[in-house]
Amino acid sequence: MRANGILPAVAVIALYLLVPAALGHVDYVMSLIVAALTIGGIAVAWAMLGNLGGMVSFGHAAFFGVGAYVSALLTLDAGWPVFPAMLAGGAGAAIASVVTMPALRLRGPYFALSILAFAHIFRILATELESITRGAGGILSIPVLPTVAGFDLSSKIGSYYVILTIVLMAMAGYAWLRRSTVGLALLAMHDTEDATKVVGVPSTRLKAMMLALSAFITGVVGAFNAHQINFLDPDYAFSGLWTVLPIVAAIFGGYRTISGPLVGALVIYLVDQLVFKSFLPHGHEIILGALLVAMIVLSPTGLVPLVRQTVTLVRQTVTRGHHAAA
Amino acid sequence: MSAALDIKDIRAGYGAVNVLWDVSLSVEAGTTTAILGPNGAGKSTLLRAIMGLVTVSQGDIVVDSCARTGTSTWNMVNEGVVMVPEGRMVFRDMTVEDNLLMGAFPKRTRPRAQANLKTVYQRFPRLSERRRQLAGSLSGGEAQMLALGRGLMEEPRIFLVDEPSLGLAPVIVDEIFAGLRQLKEEGRTIVLVEQNTYKALSVADYVYLMQAGKIVMSQVAADVDVDHLHDLYFARKTGSEH
Repeated sequence: MRANGILPAVAVIALYLLVPAALGHVDYVMSLIVAALTIGGIAVAWAMLGNLGGMVSFGHAAFFGVGAYVSALLTLDAGWPVFPAMLAGGAGAAIASVVTMPALRLRGPYFALSILAFAHIFRILATELESITRGAGGILSIPVLPTVAGFDLSSKIGSYYVILTIVLMAMAGYAWLRRSTVGLALLAMHDTEDATKVVGVPSTRLKAMMLALSAFITGVVGAFNAHQINFLDPDYAFSGLWTVLPIVAAIFGGYRTISGPLVGALVIYLVDQLVFKSFLPHGHEIILGALLVAMIVLSPTGLVPLVRQTVTLVRQTVTRGHHAAA
Repeated sequence: MSAALDIKDIRAGYGAVNVLWDVSLSVEAGTTTAILGPNGAGKSTLLRAIMGLVTVSQGDIVVDSCARTGTSTWNMVNEGVVMVPEGRMVFRDMTVEDNLLMGAFPKRTRPRAQANLKTVYQRFPRLSERRRQLAGSLSGGEAQMLALGRGLMEEPRIFLVDEPSLGLAPVIVDEIFAGLRQLKEEGRTIVLVEQNTYKALSVADYVYLMQAGKIVMSQVAADVDVDHLHDLYFARKTGSEH
């Protein structure tokens, strides 16, 4: 039991100290890890929405894109500093989610598909509202992440720390929310929404709140991405990949757990880019598909629960061995 | 005595299908009212309409002289109108205790959650024994006790109980009804939907009989002639020769 409390702390220390120390000088790997964490951030937000509130979204690209655009335009046209603009990007995505809230009346696949439609509407708006968004040509030279106390956050290691902090804060918030009374009510909604209403849970309001929160996190991640790569266009910012990869990552890692989406994103993205891409430069994503199917067959709850079960099993076998020896 | 709950000529249903046709009933504070009737008579729909789970297209729902038609379910709960739904609807993946604590979700009841929890455990000691167990692993009778307990955590002023005997063995049904009788003796206002007429009559002060979405009979429980009631219940001709 105690080991479970120590494990996250060890993982956090490793992520903050060991990873930069070991890989900090390999720019290519560092940039892959930053990209994996970007996917991981969206995956956490997506899984949170599915777990607490039972909503499956096919349209997180909408929130990612809105966050990116809001933050980029605030820094370029209104002269905002980067970090407040990133938060505003999250807020912008949350406000955009309010537009999608009529979809909360729908359930299951109907909700998922209507959110997908909203993602397309936002992409079209970003293309057509040329006077604000600069249209299909995109936005160039978006301000980079600033230098804080002599530390250049726009460097590979710097941006690694920024996105890592964003993702870990999102996970901490998620963990806290899940333990709260509201989180309990949202988990209960999985079974029967009518039953939660009957015990006095304002289910529609809570679902709306979760959608806005998930959109906010996704928007901040989108804003980070904009300031990290310094370029945006509608097809990139609202690309379906920002929806599909996080879903694959979350399901692979274990969408019912808090660490699963992040673990899944790191494994899926790094293995894909470092291994599969080397021997199958084109169409390497097809292996991801096969891997996901294999995981769903092997362990429907994902990688993290699978590892946990294996560890428990091994531990039990070891203890039993000791008893037998004694 | 004033009516705690007054329902006036309501129509309600699911989409294009209307189920309740101008249903009226009145529940006095501190009494137990039984709503009887066969499957599909609209009894559960009536309770769901009161709770705002089904849209009311016509008529009024009045709680303590305040119009509450169209009020959202969670606000009805805040007004103290609490339903124990048909088929229990416990949260299967949560422990018994978490299920009960979910009943204390409304802000109004949260400060007294621990005290209420203790009372529920005293009332249903079986739940106390199983407090760490997942609700999905309970027997039907225990799940019904849990559903009742969860309802009591919401501090009901008007307690709507939908078919508590559904699918339970007779011994367990006796136990559940003993619990309901105790609640009645404590002076609670109860609206009980049942198919088990004898059991319902044993606790009710007042009886309504529903048939095809309408109230076909309303009477003081003590005056009810069970044979006549069953004639209506099974839509036999009144006074049919045997």
